[in-house]
Amino acid sequence: MSILEYNGGCVIAMAGKDCVAIASDHRLGVQLTTVAMDATRIFPMHDKLYLGLTGLMTDITTLDQLFRFRLEMYEMRENRKIKPKTFSNLVSSTLYGKRFGPYFSEPVIAGLDKDNKPFLCSMDLLGCIAEADDFAVAGTCAESLLGTCETFYRPNLEPEDLFETVSQSLLAALDRDCISGWGAVVHIITKDGVTTRELDGRMD
Amino acid sequence: MGESDYSFSLTTFSPSGRLVQIEYALNAVTAGATALGIKAKNGIVLATEKRLPSALMAEDSVQKVSMITESIGLVYAGMGPDSRVLVKKARKAAQAYARIYKEVIPVGQLVREVASVMQEFTQSGGVRPFGVSLLVAGFDDEGPQLCQIDPSGSYYAWKASAIGKNMVNAKTFLEKRYSDDIELEDAIHTAILTLKEGFEGQVTESNIEIGIIGEDKVFRTLTPADTKDYLTELE
Amino acid sequence: MRNFDFLDAEYAISGTRSDEARVSPDAIDLGLSNSLVVPQVDRPSSFLRDAFANVPEKDRIRFAHGTTTLAFSFKGGIIVAVDSRASMGQYIGSGTVKKIIEINPYLLGTMAGGAADCSFWERDLGRRCKLYELRNKERISVAAASKLLANTVYYYKGMGLSMGTMICGWDKTGPSIFYVDSDGTRLKGKMFSVGSGSTFAYGVLDQGYSYDMSDEEAITLGQKSIYHATHRDAASGGVINLYHVKEDGWVKISSEDMMVQHRARMAQIKAENETSAAVVAEPAAA
Repeated sequence: MSILEYNGGCVIAMAGKDCVAIASDHRLGVQLTTVAMDATRIFPMHDKLYLGLTGLMTDITTLDQLFRFRLEMYEMRENRKIKPKTFSNLVSSTLYGKRFGPYFSEPVIAGLDKDNKPFLCSMDLLGCIAEADDFAVAGTCAESLLGTCETFYRPNLEPEDLFETVSQSLLAALDRDCISGWGAVVHIITKDGVTTRELDGRMD
Repeated sequence: MGESDYSFSLTTFSPSGRLVQIEYALNAVTAGATALGIKAKNGIVLATEKRLPSALMAEDSVQKVSMITESIGLVYAGMGPDSRVLVKKARKAAQAYARIYKEVIPVGQLVREVASVMQEFTQSGGVRPFGVSLLVAGFDDEGPQLCQIDPSGSYYAWKASAIGKNMVNAKTFLEKRYSDDIELEDAIHTAILTLKEGFEGQVTESNIEIGIIGEDKVFRTLTPADTKDYLTELE
Repeated sequence: MRNFDFLDAEYAISGTRSDEARVSPDAIDLGLSNSLVVPQVDRPSSFLRDAFANVPEKDRIRFAHGTTTLAFSFKGGIIVAVDSRASMGQYIGSGTVKKIIEINPYLLGTMAGGAADCSFWERDLGRRCKLYELRNKERISVAAASKLLANTVYYYKGMGLSMGTMICGWDKTGPSIFYVDSDGTRLKGKMFSVGSGSTFAYGVLDQGYSYDMSDEEAITLGQKSIYHATHRDAASGGVINLYHVKEDGWVKISSEDMMVQHRARMAQIKAENETSAAVVAEPAAA
């Protein structure tokens, strides 16, 4: 079993009209044993920028702390909020900095830029950026998530419809993955703020 | 002991709380050729005297205006060799920033980086302060910006400023001439006129150097031919 | 002794039967009309393993391994309960697999390990139990039936069969459970749980078990054990199927999504918390 699949879990992000959604499951496991159902793998970087991390939970925790540190230093130094695109480059160069002993985590970044246009990207564990204008996924059920996203995604969804689409895409993919699930959380980022909702999912 | 007795080490304060080595560095700047910068509505101009000690020297081999990134340039007053060290460090800082964020370093960040290098050379052992002041011009998301950095490491943003031998007169001239809605083309004329004030001899395209950045956010040093055109316009 | 061999011919599927298959040294005739063909190599037992030796782990032939199955006997007979998830690695192939195989009206087999192996050999076991019954005019004992299966899998030992099964039934000796696996192990016992979720099921089972429990209590315990296993074991899940083996044969009791149990448990926990909160609140009010 790959070390990226040791703890399980996944993240999905999807773009709407002047809004963007990012969602993840709540499982934390040790291989096949589920040890927690309240795990967090999505982290707010600022009010229009969220970072989702999949993979090894110990590295997820470390990376969250590292990026928060780098981000707060940036915001104090430059006296401005970081742009989602700039942040993705920061994440990428941080990950590549550990090219020969990488963090076992694949990030998904979702945010709104200064014109409230959605920004989405996913990355491999070495920092190779894959920018998307529709959806980005990562984690143990990435393949299933791509399938459900391809099926359910429509361009320019309003926040409420985007929430529904992301939720269904996520829940459907979770039903085909042993090591993801046990509840989920969805964040909808709009220019007016972030709405966070918990999803009741299957608990097996 | 007198003030001069505390000049053996630049990291030692004099009893009156001064670091005299920094003041001496500033003297070196004041002895240097005049340089000035003007922030216009749609860009910035940097200009400097380029008087050479001998008529036999090749004028086109001396470059006093340097490009740091595509959208940032600087000019110095003071010791030429010291300025080259700072230009090198500034370029390296700009590339280090671009390497992490894949975007051009903002002017404020570049100035802060260079200023912190200059500060470090006022507090470290075995080194001396830089004998230069810098005028940094850049155009980023915040618009056109003009900053001055002194040997102490302190830096300020200006609408227009001058450094070097004739700085006091030049600043007085600029204060009279400056207006907030000045266009870049007018600023270039003003810059040349300011240099002409107190210039020993005739200003030609080969004894001054001009750098400009406009709304295209590309910094460039004017060629002697370009400079000559501006000089002709002023006649 | 009368020879009953002619019965085999009656049950043969004539279309696939050939003389060549009967005489071929490469085919092992198990008395099945469609013989299992063994690869024509020096060491047939390691053929499958060798064939996939240099293939990445994820691309090898893999069998559904994740499962929770359990069976226990008590005063009222035997409870057999299972989940319904078929996982292929971490991928969920199906959420509605029937893992309790109805061998005949008195015998049940459970399925863990390779789904194909379990269903094929337990169906074959059903056929042979029926033959036994026709030959001997009485039902086969659970011990004998489980031994037929154990002997069969032992014959194929090392060739990659993967099964962990419980043969449960009621015979002249009363209720009995035999654990049989593809290593050749055959054990008689009162309580077994097999599969990746078995440790979780054992925990609940041991905590709640008593021989003298009522049918309802036993059914609840069976369901609860599987529920907790589906909850904690990633490779188990879906529907909880439960059978009750009694003197006159097995009865299917329930087939219910594990989420029904989960919601009931969550509601109960919530109610208990509210009650205890009220108890804590009372002295303060007084």
